[in-house]
Amino acid sequence: MRILTIGALSATLCLTAGFAQDVTVIQNATIHTVTKGTMKGSIVIRDGKIAEVGEKVMTPSGARVIDAAGKHVIPGIIDCHTHIAVDAINEGSVSVSSMVGVGDVVNSEGKDIYRALAGGVTTANVLHGSANAIGGKNVLLKMRWGKDADALVFQEAMPSIKFALGENPKRAGQATGFQAPGAQQNLRYPGTRMGVEDVIREAFLHAQEYQKEWKAYEAKKSKGEAALPPRRDLQMEPLVEVLEGKRLVHAHCYRADEILMLLRVADEFHFKIATLQHVLEGYKLAKEIAAAGVGASTFSDWWSYKVEAYDAIPYNAAIMHKKGVLVSLNSDDAGGAELMRRLNTEAGKMAKYGGLTEDEALAMITINPAKQLRIDQYVGSIETGKQADLVIYDKDPLSIYSKVEKVFIDGTQYFDREKDLEERPRQDARKKGLLEKEKETEKRNAPQSRRPS
Amino acid sequence: MLLKSLSLFLLAGAAFLPLQAEPPSLIAIQDARIITVSGAVLEKGTVVLRDGIIADVGAAIIIPKGAWVVDGKGLTVYPGLIDGFSTWGIPDGAPVAAPTGGRAAVAVPAPAGTPAPARSQGPADRPGTNSWVTAADLVKTSDRRLDAARGAGFTSAATFPRPGLVGGHGALVNLAGENAGRMVVEPGIGLLLSMGGGGYTGYPSSLMGMFSYYRQLWIDAEHYKLNKEMYAQSPATIERPGYDRALEGVLAAKKVFLPAAGPMQLERALKLAAELKATPVIYGAVEGYRMAAVLKKTATPVILNVKWPVKDREADPERIDSIRTLELRDKAPESPAALVAAGVKFAVSSDGIDNPKDVIKALKRSIDLGLKKEDALRALTLSAAEIHGVGARLGSIDKGKIANLVVTNGDLFDDKTKVQMVFIDGVKYLPPPETPPAPRGGAAPSAPGNETQEEVEH
Amino acid sequence: MKRFAWIVLAAGTLMAGQDNTFLLRNATVYPVSGPKIENATILVVGGKIVEVGAKVTPPKGKIKIVEGKGLQVYPGMIDSGSPIGLSEISSVRETNDVGELGDFNPQLRSIIAVNPESEHIPVVRANGITSVMVLPGSGNGLVYGQISLMHLSGWTWEEMEIRRGAALQMRWPTYTMGGRGGGGGRGGAAGGGMAEAKRVHDQQVKLIQEFFEQARAYQLAKAAGTPGLKPDLKLEAMIPVLEGKLPVMITVAREREIKEAVEWAVKEKLKIVLAGVRRPGKMTEELAKRKIPVILGSTFEVPLEEDDPYDEVFSLPGELQKAGVKIAFASFGVQFARNLPYQAAQAVPFGLPYDEALKSVTLNAAEIWGVADQYGSIEKGKWADLIVTDGDPLEVKTSVRMMFVKGEPVDLESKHTRLYKKYMARP
Repeated sequence: MRILTIGALSATLCLTAGFAQDVTVIQNATIHTVTKGTMKGSIVIRDGKIAEVGEKVMTPSGARVIDAAGKHVIPGIIDCHTHIAVDAINEGSVSVSSMVGVGDVVNSEGKDIYRALAGGVTTANVLHGSANAIGGKNVLLKMRWGKDADALVFQEAMPSIKFALGENPKRAGQATGFQAPGAQQNLRYPGTRMGVEDVIREAFLHAQEYQKEWKAYEAKKSKGEAALPPRRDLQMEPLVEVLEGKRLVHAHCYRADEILMLLRVADEFHFKIATLQHVLEGYKLAKEIAAAGVGASTFSDWWSYKVEAYDAIPYNAAIMHKKGVLVSLNSDDAGGAELMRRLNTEAGKMAKYGGLTEDEALAMITINPAKQLRIDQYVGSIETGKQADLVIYDKDPLSIYSKVEKVFIDGTQYFDREKDLEERPRQDARKKGLLEKEKETEKRNAPQSRRPS
Repeated sequence: MLLKSLSLFLLAGAAFLPLQAEPPSLIAIQDARIITVSGAVLEKGTVVLRDGIIADVGAAIIIPKGAWVVDGKGLTVYPGLIDGFSTWGIPDGAPVAAPTGGRAAVAVPAPAGTPAPARSQGPADRPGTNSWVTAADLVKTSDRRLDAARGAGFTSAATFPRPGLVGGHGALVNLAGENAGRMVVEPGIGLLLSMGGGGYTGYPSSLMGMFSYYRQLWIDAEHYKLNKEMYAQSPATIERPGYDRALEGVLAAKKVFLPAAGPMQLERALKLAAELKATPVIYGAVEGYRMAAVLKKTATPVILNVKWPVKDREADPERIDSIRTLELRDKAPESPAALVAAGVKFAVSSDGIDNPKDVIKALKRSIDLGLKKEDALRALTLSAAEIHGVGARLGSIDKGKIANLVVTNGDLFDDKTKVQMVFIDGVKYLPPPETPPAPRGGAAPSAPGNETQEEVEH
Repeated sequence: MKRFAWIVLAAGTLMAGQDNTFLLRNATVYPVSGPKIENATILVVGGKIVEVGAKVTPPKGKIKIVEGKGLQVYPGMIDSGSPIGLSEISSVRETNDVGELGDFNPQLRSIIAVNPESEHIPVVRANGITSVMVLPGSGNGLVYGQISLMHLSGWTWEEMEIRRGAALQMRWPTYTMGGRGGGGGRGGAAGGGMAEAKRVHDQQVKLIQEFFEQARAYQLAKAAGTPGLKPDLKLEAMIPVLEGKLPVMITVAREREIKEAVEWAVKEKLKIVLAGVRRPGKMTEELAKRKIPVILGSTFEVPLEEDDPYDEVFSLPGELQKAGVKIAFASFGVQFARNLPYQAAQAVPFGLPYDEALKSVTLNAAEIWGVADQYGSIEKGKWADLIVTDGDPLEVKTSVRMMFVKGEPVDLESKHTRLYKKYMARP
């Protein structure tokens, strides 16, 4: 009843304000709000936000109405770990590459954005690679296909940085193949998990010193003393932000030992890890992870592709979830956005691997990653006031037989399967035209090869 | 036709007279068609060169006494052409850095004899940073490419040292001179930054690493500057900064030249330039037709690479290129016209083009697609001079400007037109005799032989 | 993980050695070869299906009863290509026995190197996959070896074996630019462009032709009883291939190469199956016409080319099926082999009829590999390779509750379920 009143009010408001044209209403859908249950009803979108959700809503005249009878709506999928839409992933030359950021090389024209969108993904955490114990800065993007790089960035999000433990960061420190006696390989420290810990601790020790240097300078300055400010160090600045709780840490990890190590190093330096990424042995350490209040972003059923993934089990997400860890499922897609097209069924597997409910499963690709990324006040569920990032499926979104029909970001429709299908013959014709034109041009510009014999 | 080629022959014969030990200091080109670029075309005019400067130009000029006179009948005089982004004059300058930047970035080997540098562990190692290097120190009159460049009508070039991330400071040079020093018109036109670069290993190894490296480099330079200033004021209390030639070089940069292949790279480059508080000039711009609006909005000049992308002949014929690639090949030659339409100031570059004449041929293709000849010419002359800060001295046929001219027997963009002579600092140079280029892979000699072929046909 | 219980009728004693004789009742049976049967009973005797239907008369005397109420029964699924048992941790060379040295290894038989204790075997079968075509090869060779068809159950590889040599695995040379892959070590068309790629391709095709010629000569010499003919394991292994008895599975992805491979095979009168087809183009009709089946790889791949529709991979199975090509699926790997049913299911919303998707991982595979008389559907006379599920086995949420291989119940526990239980119980 209350919902109804608010609905009537907001409808009146937009009518009087003349905004009816900018209102979209998705009607008669099965709405998986994720946080407030599932209902048959409508969603009113206004000014890019969800204005109202309910079984009965008021529809302003002139609004765009989408009849979604028989369809399902879920919040836009949030992929907590990807490497799409960037022109570089790893700065692998150094063990601490915190000075670099993938945000500098966002490839806004990569088809992977569109493909992810076609799979219902509206927000993607784009991470630096895992070549370094402390990697580079990440960037959180919305899949606003067609917009330039700046316009893809999730503006309200906190900045973050990548860490990596285990096999990947130590790979550059391990000799490979047969070595001639005395031959020097260009090895990069560290070459063991012990060394990985050392690199992280040393980096934060330096960051603390750097922080002190600046504090000392500020103190001098405030006393009016002439002093040369310390040199700004782009490698240290993000680490200071981590120490100050201003930058999230997403840490690539596999084995329980290294996960525990990182939790303790974070304790030592009084910062918090936002998420453990991959965290395939997280189930062995669920108690400690839950106690530390650290999120876990994992795969549904990946395993055995390397030694540190040999104890990976598809029940990992369920165990961690049941033991109180905030869990999300991610794709780790680079380039092609393959798994991003079907994170919904990755969540669907959770019913089998651990008996999670539909809402629990859906939460792992919507509200849970939103919480892990500290954007849950904006996205991640279908609630009034949140950004209208919505996906319409033709069937139960957790079923492998479902497909995405429409995707909205901030209330704007960025994907429509029907339009995609309509566009295909036009694209083919365009390509054919370009090919023919090129042939013509080539003919015209070719040097005359006719010569007297 | 017969008449024309006859006069052509006569002229060429005259031109082949040996040059005097002391070139004449007073020259007049009489009764020629003069394309001033800055003003109206003189259908029949005279231009007078004195001591390397354009002393006078006009329709009714009295030829000063003692002047050496060139009969300009049937000839067209243009301002000397300027290569906006080049390595001409730096003998080891070629091969050049990737013109496109970004995705297509290609590493450039360090000049021969350079010792292998240690692996860079971070910004403090100043990887590939040759910011103390200036093209003005490297140019030589002996660069064998200068002949060909002059033969195509080029008299000046913005030339840059290339290897490394920071190649060094570019210089606007004339393509001839008594000695290297005399070639230099403007020694410091800006600092070349690449997004590929070579000659170092280690950090930065990725495109994003380069961005963060440039940022740190500029931060360090600012800090160095502050340190120097504070030290100068109170040497007793402020630590003396260690001399750093790399940072000195950064601080000396008036402009930065940044690569951008398309709108995406342009967005990145402009953001970076803003962070560095540097004035950007964009080079490459292979997708210039998509960049015009932003370039205009941000008033950013661009030096367009006119090596139009072509189909890879080595490619599998059954693999069809993407629409994006096809469109790039289709649209790239339309870039100059698009830049003109948007009102973007642009010059053109010989980057990646072996035969300087192909620069003009490339523009001819754009002209066929709608670019106005005068706009093409402006890009090759006055716009280039303006972008590089020498617009008051080069780029047009105006009284008081440096006497750099190119004299042709017809329209510059006409395939049959030949450069008769060029003047640099008022000194006449002749195009090298035409020899058909060595056949490549058994194929028929291409482009430059056009005329010969036609004669054979007759 | 609800375990099922044996319900023993009458006296309540199990008959020794009679594990493979039972009556599965009250289940919904999906025979694949025909429409589903509600409330059905399957009588299995000595591991074989004796009767299936809504009304099955139980045999006289004591028999085990398997209660199937609320459950569904399907034939066990067949993965038409995986190195399972030969590859444990893909990134660790020592755990991999795939891809022998040399160009031509038709004499190799994959099953003899299968490790029955591979942790992958229980993991994969827990999703309803009862048998696999075990692939011996990958990489640089040309004729890799013989694919064995085996059950994912047994104490030794001998017990697992269905057919030691079920097909010959080879790849058709590709045109590989830029020195990667293709010819491998020799393939190195390093920057040589199309001309070099073609040279390498043609050279490899020639090698294949020469090898087959050699085999043919050997076959003739042997048939003619040529005295002094030295026995040769490689050439000997080729005889059933040349006779058209042993199918050849050829990995080939694109139209041009498919055309080459098909023309070659027709000339050689071989029985072929194509694998890893991605861009058949106009060859689709030809494949249908010539009844050449196709083994599709993972549908979980990115579109081949930039301009391809986002669902290009999802649509291909439906397109082939519609054109009349018989299709089956293969995981072509180990890590995700358990997702074989989902590979097929992913194609359903994009045009592959559900029944065909189900067939493509059961009966079609059995037909393609020549064992449809014994496997692939729930029919009288066939071996009882059965899975009992709580739903559609192609759907991700469904669990397999029971499995029978040749009528023997199979354990559905795995390393994964063991670790699950262990760590759920961690205090």
